[in-house]
Amino acid sequence: MIKWVIFLSFSLWAIISGVGVVLFSNPVYVILWLLSALISIAGIFFVAGAELVGALQLLIYAVAIAVFYVLVLTAVPWEKALKKDTHFRTSGILSLPVVLLLYVEMALVFILGIAASPEGKFREAIKKLGNTEVIGSVLFSKYFFAFEVVSLVLLVGMIGAVIIGRKEKQTYENDTP
Amino acid sequence: MKTIPLEAYFAVSMILFGLGMLGMIVRRNLVTVLMSLELSLNAVNIAFVGADAYMGLVEGQIFALFIIALAASEAAVGLGIIISIFRYRQVESTDEITDMRG
Repeated sequence: MIKWVIFLSFSLWAIISGVGVVLFSNPVYVILWLLSALISIAGIFFVAGAELVGALQLLIYAVAIAVFYVLVLTAVPWEKALKKDTHFRTSGILSLPVVLLLYVEMALVFILGIAASPEGKFREAIKKLGNTEVIGSVLFSKYFFAFEVVSLVLLVGMIGAVIIGRKEKQTYENDTP
Repeated sequence: MKTIPLEAYFAVSMILFGLGMLGMIVRRNLVTVLMSLELSLNAVNIAFVGADAYMGLVEGQIFALFIIALAASEAAVGLGIIISIFRYRQVESTDEITDMRG
């Protein structure tokens, strides 16, 4: 019961923050709403019993990536974008049911196929060892190659960001109307 | 102890994903488009972790960690592209970048 109350309050907080992300026009307010949404989603992870993912959500998303966005907002002048903040409003709202229909279809396939899945394979191990230890033992044995590939992707992304963001001598005019 | 059903996690995830998608279509500022993308990625993470908690597995949490790492890398590259677009073109909204329009 108390779990339900905590889950519903965090969900309501997340949805209100998501609406704020979409509706506000000032990018500084938008990033504050996004920070609020990220913290509430970390709360949902804690309710679901995923301590490691929740802690990493707080550390990586709500600290590192949010600070990165704030840093970029200081480099880009966002004041002139305040007057015209949205476009394609009707087509965006009309395309929303199609997206949600695809999502519902995916969720239905998952829920119907859950009978054939290995349900509760690690439940005893999680109860005995704790969630984080089981994640570590599976991540570093079965998904070790994927883990290395993800580290390589991070390295490539870092090199790409450095190369894209460096200064060039020549500047280009925006010649389209 | 009663656990939260899978449909509740999926409902929250669906609503947040729809909001992020709407923001990606509707927004005109490039930085807020990327912020809406982050919201969508977080919604998918909620679905993964919720399914995990329901089924008693750990694979969903591992994939949520992968998604967080890929979102960090995507944010780095995307924000670098936005800064360089602004530096060379002096524009930062999506409808002013029309060089490749056919």
